[in-house]
Amino acid sequence: MAAPTADRGTRVPPEQIGYLAGGPGRAAETALARLMDAGLVRVAREGWVSTVHETELGETTAVETSILLRLSKPVRFDSVVRQAAKSPEMRALHQHLRARRLTRNARPRLAVWWLFLVIGVVLGLAAFLEPWTLFGAAGFLGIAFWTYGAKPLTRAGREALLRVDTGNRVLAVAVEGFRGRIGNRPVGDHFGLPQSVVKTLPRKGKQQRRRARSGAASSAAGCGAGCGASSCGSSSSCSSGGGSSCGGGGGGCGGGGGGD
Amino acid sequence: MAGIKDLGVGIGWRSEIDLTVERLPGVDFVEVVAENLHIGHLPESVTLLLERGIPVLPHAVSLSLGGADEVDLHRVEHLGAIAEAVGAPMVSDHVCFVRAGGLDSGHLMPVPRTRDALDVLVANVKLAQANLPVPLALENVAALLEWPDGELSEGQFLAELVERTDCWLLVDVANLYANARNIGTDPERFLDEIPLERLAYVHVAGGEQHGDIYHDTHAHAVLPEVLEVLDELCSRVAPPGVLLERDDNYPSDAEIESELTAIRAVVDKHRD
Repeated sequence: MAAPTADRGTRVPPEQIGYLAGGPGRAAETALARLMDAGLVRVAREGWVSTVHETELGETTAVETSILLRLSKPVRFDSVVRQAAKSPEMRALHQHLRARRLTRNARPRLAVWWLFLVIGVVLGLAAFLEPWTLFGAAGFLGIAFWTYGAKPLTRAGREALLRVDTGNRVLAVAVEGFRGRIGNRPVGDHFGLPQSVVKTLPRKGKQQRRRARSGAASSAAGCGAGCGASSCGSSSSCSSGGGSSCGGGGGGCGGGGGGD
Repeated sequence: MAGIKDLGVGIGWRSEIDLTVERLPGVDFVEVVAENLHIGHLPESVTLLLERGIPVLPHAVSLSLGGADEVDLHRVEHLGAIAEAVGAPMVSDHVCFVRAGGLDSGHLMPVPRTRDALDVLVANVKLAQANLPVPLALENVAALLEWPDGELSEGQFLAELVERTDCWLLVDVANLYANARNIGTDPERFLDEIPLERLAYVHVAGGEQHGDIYHDTHAHAVLPEVLEVLDELCSRVAPPGVLLERDDNYPSDAEIESELTAIRAVVDKHRD
């Protein structure tokens, strides 16, 4: 069994990197990857995840603990990820990232944002002739700025992603997901996972297209297409909506595994 | 069949640990619970092991050959079909009964060691053998009780069974240890009495003491005392194979590997 490698190479923990890179679904994948890396859970060829019988668990995160507690009997690989992505512990992780100023509320970009910009500029130029239009120019430019949208990751969040060492297999999951690739090698192979198991998770591109169609987070960068609560408007809509308001069903709030 | 070919050291294949079994070094053969497999769609993992040339031996738990009920030939046929599907050189079940009067015990119940019970067992074994495509090996069970009025020791009972049916023996050393602890039998006497030349292979498993009772759980680590019984057996005969059984509370790959290594060390000690 490979030695645990999770905590090398970055100052932001892998689970948080996962959240920043792909939202709650990716963070859930990362938590599961960390448990596999530590030899605390095993995955069977048919996709059942079960705990490894150990008396000493070692240090685990709240999300990891919540996963272990749900594994009193074997659970399907994709269900483990989906349940963890929707868990209260995951919402707490999101709040933690907000508190660390790694994420913020994202605002979707309106298609007509440029119209407000043009009006603002025109009114600004008109101020040379009619100074009172300056107030209108400021208002429209403000609206243009607001409707342009905001990405869910702060500068600190984006920088955290830049420092990730994807040579670490847990961080590889955080950045690319189990269905992703590092070089020519599927990330799942680093854990000895059959592709039949990995493919129970939603495909990255499919998730992104689904979100793009739903318009949930067209302006997002990082956090997959939205940092869970950020792209859904509020965290409560993610937790209680069962996916209908965010991500278009399937994983719900990125909880289906791809998370991005 | 002149003899069982050398199987080496193996492990019970279970779906929960299939990937572990596939990647563990030094697994020479595996055993599958026949009732858990279905003809026509073998688990991918089992197919993979077969492709690697790893022998797969079907092990049954439901033939109830020690019972007074008529042998269920559908179960025998299923066991035979699984054997053919995996190209197994033999199959096995237990010297026990698991149902009577329409009730299923859910447990491997010991057979009374009387001549009448032996006659029933012999008849059932012969019927099963006649309907199986490969030789049948029978395993001693762990018992929490002994039926009254026994006429034979367990070793004598099995020796006569072998003589009358030409079956093979699957000796579970963990069960020998459990019986010694719980009902005071003597493993050495057992080994003295059975025809060791008819040994097919050996089971090793873990268990746990609860109060006055030792439970053969297959869910705990193998005790050193069980390995001592294996050591005693290996001092008398080179077993064709030795297999680790683990059915629950699966430990880490490393722990399973270390148990296999410990078993191999005992076996190899007597081969050097």
